[in-house]
Amino acid sequence: MIYSWKKIVKHALPLLTICIIIEIFAGQILQGKQEILILFPVFLISIPVINGVGGNIGSILGARLASGLHVGYISLDIKDKKMHENLFTSIIMGVLTYTILAILIYYTASFSGIRMDDINLIKFISIVLATGFLLICIISIVSVLTAFWSFKRGLDPDDVVAPVVTTVGDTLGIVFLFLLIGVVGV
Amino acid sequence: MYAKEMLKQSLPLLIVCGLGAIIAGNTLGAMVDILQNIPGLIVVIPAIIALRGNISTALGSRLGSAYHLGIIDAENMWNEDLKQNIIGSLVLSFLMSFIIGVLAYITSLFFNVQPNPLLLIIIVVLAGGISGLILTFLTIIIIYLVFRRGYDPDNITGPALATFGDVVTMLCIFGSAVFVGGIV
Repeated sequence: MIYSWKKIVKHALPLLTICIIIEIFAGQILQGKQEILILFPVFLISIPVINGVGGNIGSILGARLASGLHVGYISLDIKDKKMHENLFTSIIMGVLTYTILAILIYYTASFSGIRMDDINLIKFISIVLATGFLLICIISIVSVLTAFWSFKRGLDPDDVVAPVVTTVGDTLGIVFLFLLIGVVGV
Repeated sequence: MYAKEMLKQSLPLLIVCGLGAIIAGNTLGAMVDILQNIPGLIVVIPAIIALRGNISTALGSRLGSAYHLGIIDAENMWNEDLKQNIIGSLVLSFLMSFIIGVLAYITSLFFNVQPNPLLLIIIVVLAGGISGLILTFLTIIIIYLVFRRGYDPDNITGPALATFGDVVTMLCIFGSAVFVGGIV
C-alpha cells in the first residue's frame, strides 16, 4: 500500500484552503451584485460557463506547456516561438468557444422562459465575448508565468498550473463580467 | 498547422464541457428565489464548485498515476490503495465544505449581511458531502471503464469529471437548500 488517506488530506489541505479563501471573495462579489443577477438571471446562468471555459483553456495551455518544458521543445524564454503559438491558439480557441456557448446560453435561457427585458442576442454576446476575451488573455498569461515559474523552481507544472488558473479564472471571470455589464449597460 | 491540430482536438471537448456548465448555470438560474431567501448562499457557490473540481480531478489523476505504476488495474481494482484514496477524498469533501460554510458566514458579516450560520453550514456540508460521494463513485466507474478499454485515464478523467462535476454539485446545492430550507 503506497497511499494513506491521512497523507492525501495533509498534502491537499494548504492549497485547497488558499483556493477556497479566494473563491469565497469571488462569492462575496456575487453577493454584493446579487440584485443585478436576480434582475437578469441570464448572467447568473453564464457564470459557471464563463469560469469553466476559462479554467479549462488555462489548464489545457498549462498541460501543453508542461509537456513542452519536460520534453524540451519549449525553452524557458519569454520570446519562445512555440510558447507564443500556444498562447495565441488558446486565445483563438477561447473566442470561438465563448461565441458558440453565448449563443447556446441565450437560446436555452429564452427557451426556459427567463426574463430578458431589453437584452438582445447581440448585446448579450458582446458582454460574454468581451468578458471571455479579457479573461482568456489574462488566464493564458498567468498560465505561462505559472508554468515557467514552477518549472524553474523544480516543481512539476502539471501539479501547479491547474489549481492556480482555475482559482484566478473564477475570481477574474466574475470581476470582468460585472465590469462589462457596467460598460455595455443593461 | 500546429494551431489547427490543437483546435481540432480541444474545441469539441471544450464545447461539451461548456454544455455541462450551461446545465449547471440553468440550475443556478432556477435558484433565484432560494438565493434571495437564504442570505449568504450565493457566496458559497464558486467555492463549492471549485472544491469539487479540485478534489475529484486530483483523485482521478492519482488513480491515473496508480494505473501507470501498476498499483491498480481492471482485475485488481478494489484494493487497499483505492480505499485509502476514496477515504482521503471523502474526508476532504466534508472538511473543506464545513470550512467553506464557516468562511462564508464570517466574511458575510463584514459586508453587513447576516446569514443564519447553522442553516448555511448544514446546506454546504450536505451538498459538499453528497456531491463528494456521487463524484467519487462516478470517478471509480469512469476509471474502471477506461482501464477495461485500455485507454490512458489521464486523457479522459479530467474533462469527464469537469463536465459532470459542475452539474452534480449544483444539483446537490439546489437539493440541499430546498431540503434544509424547508425543514428549518
